[in-house]
This record gives sequence, C-alpha cells and structure tokens, in this order.
Amino acid sequence: MNLIQQKFKEISSDWELLVILAKRDISVRYKQTILGLSWAIVKPVATMLVFLFAYKQVAKIQDISGYPIQLVIFSGILFWNYFANSLQAISNSILVNSNLISKVYFPRLIICFSSIAVSLVDFLVGLAVYIILALSLHQSISLYIFLLPVALFITSLFALGFGLIFASFSVKYRDVQQIIPLIVQYGFFATPIVYTTKQLSEKSWFLYYNILNPLAGLVEMFRACLINQYDLLTAQNVSISIIASVLVFILGIFIFDKREDSFVDYL
Amino acid sequence: MHIIEVNSVSKKYELSANKGAVSLKNGIKNLLTKEEKEIFWAVNDVSFALNRGDKLGIVGSNGAGKSTLLKILSKITKPTSGEIHVRGKVASLLEVGTGFHPELTGRENIFLNGAILGMSKHEIKSQFDEIVDFAGEQISRFLDTPVKRYSSGMYVRLGFAISAHLNPEILIVDEVLAVGDADFQKKSLGKMREVAANDKTILFVSHNLTAVANLCNKTLHLEKGRVKQFGETGEVLSNYMAALQTNRLEQNFESFDSAPGSQQIRLKRATLIPELLEGQTYLDIRNKINISIEFWNTEDKQQLNVSLHLFASTGECIFNVGTLPGNFGVGLVQASLEIPGHFLNDGTYHISFMVVKDKSIVLYNFEEVFNFEIADFREDTTWYGKWPGYVRPVFPFPIRQLSDSI
Repeated sequence: MNLIQQKFKEISSDWELLVILAKRDISVRYKQTILGLSWAIVKPVATMLVFLFAYKQVAKIQDISGYPIQLVIFSGILFWNYFANSLQAISNSILVNSNLISKVYFPRLIICFSSIAVSLVDFLVGLAVYIILALSLHQSISLYIFLLPVALFITSLFALGFGLIFASFSVKYRDVQQIIPLIVQYGFFATPIVYTTKQLSEKSWFLYYNILNPLAGLVEMFRACLINQYDLLTAQNVSISIIASVLVFILGIFIFDKREDSFVDYL
Repeated sequence: MHIIEVNSVSKKYELSANKGAVSLKNGIKNLLTKEEKEIFWAVNDVSFALNRGDKLGIVGSNGAGKSTLLKILSKITKPTSGEIHVRGKVASLLEVGTGFHPELTGRENIFLNGAILGMSKHEIKSQFDEIVDFAGEQISRFLDTPVKRYSSGMYVRLGFAISAHLNPEILIVDEVLAVGDADFQKKSLGKMREVAANDKTILFVSHNLTAVANLCNKTLHLEKGRVKQFGETGEVLSNYMAALQTNRLEQNFESFDSAPGSQQIRLKRATLIPELLEGQTYLDIRNKINISIEFWNTEDKQQLNVSLHLFASTGECIFNVGTLPGNFGVGLVQASLEIPGHFLNDGTYHISFMVVKDKSIVLYNFEEVFNFEIADFREDTTWYGKWPGYVRPVFPFPIRQLSDSI
C-alpha cells in the first residue's frame, strides 16, 4: 500500500506534465486523421451495424436479452473500445515515448496514465452517439448514468493493471506487443460485448467465468449505467469485478515499479 | 554541505549477442542456458563532490562514459552500484527539443517541452514572450506552424530558447552548444555565461575545451569509465590536452623491405615536430610545426618532387604545397616543410603526401601519414565559442579614429 501511495504522490506532483502529455496525444490524434472526430463515431457505429446484420439477417435473432438489441450492442462496444484502446495505449506507451524516457527523468507512470486520454475522448464522443441512438429509439437513459464515471474508473484500473504489466515486459521482450492484439480480438468474443450475461447466468460455471473474466461484470456495470432498468447486474459480479480490478491494478503497479529502472537500458 | 555527492558510482552493461531488447523465445533460452555475457563497465567507480555554484566540465574521449554519467546524474538510468546525493531541483538537457512533436505547432511545443523539462505551466506562460524573442524573429512568424515544417536550424533554436529559460538549481548539459549556426552559438554561449555568473550549479559535457576552460571552475576527466583526474579546470585540462596530443609524431622504417611505398619509392622516416614555447605542454595555434620526410629512391636520373596535402577532420583539403622538382639518383631523399604559427585554426588535421615524377606522374601517395590536433589559445577574450574557419592568420588589421566630429 505504501508503494501505491508513493506512486500517487509522484503522479500528483507532476500532474501538469500528465495533462500536457494527454493533450499532446489528443491533439496529435485529431490532427493526423483526416476523419478526425468522426472516426470516433464511425468505428463503433460500423461495428454495431455489422452485428445487427449478422443477428437479424443471418442468424435471425431478434432479441438477446429483452433490452433493445442496438443499445445492448452499442453500449458493449463503447465499453470494449474504451478498455481495448486503453490497454493497447498503456502497453505501448513506454516504447512509443522511448525518445522522452531516454532523455529526461520524470515519473515513468505518468506516460502510462496519460496514454488513456485518447480512449477517454473517443469514449465521450461515442457516449454522445449512444444518447442520440437511445433517444431516436424512444428509449430513456438510465438514471444511473451519473455512476458511469465510477464504472469508467474501475475499468481504467483494470486496463492500467494489465497495461502496466505488458508495458513493463514489452520493453525487454518486444514480441509481448504481438500478444495484445490477440487478447483484444479474442476478448471481444469471450466477454459479453455483443451478447449479455443473461445467456450465461444459468450455467453451472458462471461464477468461475465471472472470476476468470472480470470484464463480464464491468461491461454489465456500463450497461446498468446506460440502459434504462437494466437488471442483469448482480451484487456478485460487481464485487468480483471490482476486487479483481483493484488486485490487477496493484499487481501492475508492483511489476512496473520493479522493472521501470531498467527500461532505459533496453530502449 | 555538498550540493552533489557521487560516491563510487558504477554502471554495468551486459553485452550479449543480442544486445538490448530480446524476443521472448531468446529471453527464455537465456534464462535456461545462462549464456556467458560480456560485461562492460560504462562508468566505473566514479566519485566526486560539488559545492553550490560550482561549474563542472566533463571531458574525455568518445566512449569514456560521459553521457552515461550524465544519465545517471539526471536519474534517467540507475547506477549498478554506488550512491548519489543531489540536493536541489535538477534540469537536464541531454538534447535540444526533447519530446518535440512534429505535428504540433511551435507554440504547443513550447508548452510541451517546457513541461517535460520540469517547468510549470505558470513559469512557461510568464516567460513565453522571452522564449520566442530569444528563438528569433523567424520563429515568431511560424509560431502556429507545425514544427515538422521548420528547418533544422529553427528547430534547434526553438529548443535551445526553451532550455535557456529553465530555472533549476542544478543544470546538466550535454553538448547543447554544438548546435545551430555561428550566430546562434554565440547567443547560446552568452546565455550559458549569464547562467554561470549566478550561483547555479552546472554540469557540462563538451568537446569544446575552450568553452570548458572559460565556463567551468572544476573539470572531471573520464577515461574508459574511470576518473582520470578531477580538480581545478586549468590543471585538469592541461594534463588532458598533453595526454591527448602526441607532441612529436614520427614514422620510422628500419629497412626498405618493410617500408610502405612502391617498387621505386619507399618511406624511410617522417616526423612532425611542433616548436613549443617555454612552459607549454601541448601544441596550440601559436606554434610553428616542422615536418620532415625522408624516402628511398631506387632508380637513377629521376626528376622528382614531393606534394603535400593538409586536410581538416571534415575531409576538406586546406592546402597543397609542393617542393620544386629536382634531379635525384638512387639513395635517400629528404624534403622538409615549416608550417608557421598563427596560421592553422584549432582543430584536428591530417597530412598526406605524394612523390611525383616529371611533375605529373604520381609514383606513390602516402595517405594520412600524420594525424594531429591543434589546441585553441586565447588571451583577453570574453568570447569563447568555436573560432570559425580553418585558418586563423594574424594579418595586420589596424583600426583608428579618423576624426572626432560626426
């Protein structure tokens, strides 16, 4: 715990640097791509449309949980994109910023934390799209939306935990970078992103599944915050996911702290 | 109380076949096989201490460990062993424009780079106009252009301008002075001197010994990672220069068979001897240099002459002088040349010469026979940037007042 406290002290003492690095990533991202902001809209919408096509036209599934299928899929994709983009950005943050790290000292964690910024902005843009989508389907937004920052925070802890572990190892072992896209790809289907836990909750192994994949609880937390009267979230899967996220985060910080001194030697 | 204390600091690097990053497969293999690694001590048992206000020059040849030491002192990398105590806020300038992002504008990069170097937003804001001013008029016109469209000169000027407005207690600088055009270098050195005048502590790595001599009160001479000498600048530098230079260069070949050359021409002896002044330990721009060349000629009735080229380290030929052609028989031939003092500028030079037959046929070209260094020497000066030019003659150049009315 002392370590966590010390790390947060480090970060807060260099808060301005964190903010400016985050701003850099955001403005570079929106300057470079021609589509700019619209990219953050097109990507989740396109993904949703593909799955709607697959469900309705190919598999003839009209309903997956009793909630509007568009909203279930779109909220899942919003969650997944935030998690996956953050995870990738954090994992690559040390290597991408190697020129900085080998020339100036600052708490290294700052670069990992600031790399979430772009995913966060994309998420907010997607959230606006979600609200428009919900209203156009004559669905009201859940009153729990004010708890969305909490869900976002816990998801960030989970992404940071994993991301820090990958970042720590990928500096020395470059092929660790290759693993992350695979995790993102398989994780998308192994997690209730384009389906819900309703289809799984009756299974005898559901509890183990929930423990093995804490993202299942996290995505349902997102949906509970977004979809009106969404009741698939249970106290059990919330608590499992929160505990898992905190543990993964602490583990990530711990591993990062052990390895950060040697980063420069491999860059 | 010392502001910086370095106690037997060492940094070890392991050189294995796959240096740096490895693949997971090799990583696991290494764990299993415990392959023998070559160990390299970039910095080895270095100790020194500085007081507040000290300006330390760090000198040494390439690979002496200067940059690694600076990285350790700026906390970028951890030493393998040893301790460092630093009391005060440190800013390190290991390159100009660290973290500049090509897509961002000059304005955005000032804030980014400033923050990376440890300035607060408030500090940057309050000094913004000064920074732009210092960077020059050109930059101020392109302040809202992405820096990827900047020329390399503009890039460097902007980078230095930001660094120059840092306000730490301890400043660590690596070769930043070796950037930009002559004009900007003057400006940078002026700024360095201004900084040096107050009680800031500076650690400064440079190959510009004149700058070290004038800016620094203490000097650390590193050699192969170890401290060769640490102490007052004058003393350390004069020993360093003396060790760096060979005051007498000589090539001597005992027998014709082992000597370089052609069938007809073989080099016997070549010497380069500077005429040092009393008390001088190494060659500087004031000294006369005597060169003597002796070679064997194996054919009779030859019209020969020697043509000598002197090159700068950048490869340009500074001059080419030739002897008059003469008629020589079999035996030993000697040519000698005197390069006057106050002629060549400070720098590294090399000499080649060729033996020519009948004024046009090159019999043999002896390449890079001598490689030597000329040190700078200045008295009564407040400017110590690199003196421009390859030659540095002292021509009569009188200046006088013509009248006292305008």
